[in-house]
Amino acid sequence: MVSRVLIANRGEIVSRIIKTCKDMNISTIAVYSEADQDAPYLQQVDEAVLIGPANPVQSYLNIEAIVQAARKTGADAVHPGYGFLSERGAFAEAVENAGITWVGPSPKVLKSISSKSYCRKIADSVEVPVIPGTLGLVARTDEVVDYGVTNGWPVFLKLDKGGGGKGIERVNGVSEAEKALQRATRIGEMAFGSGACYIESVVENPRHIEVQFLADETGNCVCLGERECSVQRRHQKIIEEAPSVVVTENDRSLLFDRTVRIIQKIGYQGAGTLEFLRSGGGNYYFMEINARLQVEHPVTEYLTGIDIVKWQLLIASGAQLDFSQQAVQFKGHAIEARVYAEDPETFIPSPGTITELKFPLQDAKIRIDHALKKNTSVPPYYDPMLAKVIAWGTDRVKATNRLNKALSEFQIEGVKTTIPLNLRILQSPEFQNGTIDTNFIDNWH
Amino acid sequence: MEKSVDAIMPGLCARVVVTEGEKVSSGQEVAVINCMKTEIIVNSNFDGVVKQVLSKEWDELQVGDPMVILETSE
Repeated sequence: MVSRVLIANRGEIVSRIIKTCKDMNISTIAVYSEADQDAPYLQQVDEAVLIGPANPVQSYLNIEAIVQAARKTGADAVHPGYGFLSERGAFAEAVENAGITWVGPSPKVLKSISSKSYCRKIADSVEVPVIPGTLGLVARTDEVVDYGVTNGWPVFLKLDKGGGGKGIERVNGVSEAEKALQRATRIGEMAFGSGACYIESVVENPRHIEVQFLADETGNCVCLGERECSVQRRHQKIIEEAPSVVVTENDRSLLFDRTVRIIQKIGYQGAGTLEFLRSGGGNYYFMEINARLQVEHPVTEYLTGIDIVKWQLLIASGAQLDFSQQAVQFKGHAIEARVYAEDPETFIPSPGTITELKFPLQDAKIRIDHALKKNTSVPPYYDPMLAKVIAWGTDRVKATNRLNKALSEFQIEGVKTTIPLNLRILQSPEFQNGTIDTNFIDNWH
Repeated sequence: MEKSVDAIMPGLCARVVVTEGEKVSSGQEVAVINCMKTEIIVNSNFDGVVKQVLSKEWDELQVGDPMVILETSE
């Protein structure tokens, strides 16, 4: 069993991982950049190592500096959190080459699944429908034109190695194909080191439904339920909940079955998430794999009572799942609101210093994951997420009301926050009726 | 005279889109700042010719830091 974990991340997720490590009597090491010297979790770890300047390329994305910190502090495992290097095969490899346990799927699996086209082919090979489009890559304008003429416009060009909504090009007709392909390729080469593209058709009124799973080294894979994450802006999630109001028992079994087929085919081990799009017509299409702990994992932890970080550490240590799919019970309803440091109307980022901070009451039904403290800075160099507020209730209405109340009581001053937006969403008839899709917020603006 | 186009938000320089010797008009996009993973466009407030590019990708920026120097006729 691992006993000394280095957490290669920053912000709330570091506090989250520390909590489980403490429960498991595992000692912890944090790394931090010059911009995070006053982070509250640095006081909670057994050791903290300064790894570089604020610029993430020289700190949180610096493989060499982090592996060196792990070696120097005698870490026997590295937990990468989410974002930054968490899904980078080369990082996992460097960690393993240093004789340190990587908490996540193997470097080989990470490298393979970094290609979306590879994942689409895998899904197709086990008869899981993917978003309609090309399985392979397209390199020439005439391939885009042929696809559009045959299947209808518009089509989307997506980067094989892309992420975060970058480089997605909408092509409305023949005349736009050449320029769009050039643009996507250029952005891909600049941002991801590969300009390779594939094509996807439009899915009407899509809802984002994802399945959380755990898989061990024997190939045993158990699904921990779905999460609905359709409330998004700029392809970033704002509100997540489970269960989804549209997923029926039949849908759920189908999604679990598809998840297990894909995960076993890949040979994935650890915790992860398969993202699906659900069309307005009720069809589910495989979208992509998130090979890491996800921001919204607390929603699932509430419903199942399973500590996902604990299982990440156990599986990385070679343990096998000691419960079956049938043993996983889903209780009540959970909703998470992400609080971002942004103007709630314009979404313009709002870095600064927290001058006033008052948390709502936290109990068994309200959980707040954060790394905030009065007078700490919210640096402009990293993700704008400040905190996650997660509410549980015996049903959706109770969970929503509880989240509403907690968010109304959450006081953060010194930076603008999206709390007013979160409240507006939760109080909207569309959210309350559950008649939303991923265009919900964009349609407001 | 020389005038500078300055950072309007703190963050990291994503890119400077003009090169030395290039003519720039007031209102034209000169640079892009990455602030909390959002791209903020920096426009020039005056006409001129680019004399010097001071910022490069990943440079840390505070509000008011000069990113590009223009030679203006005023």
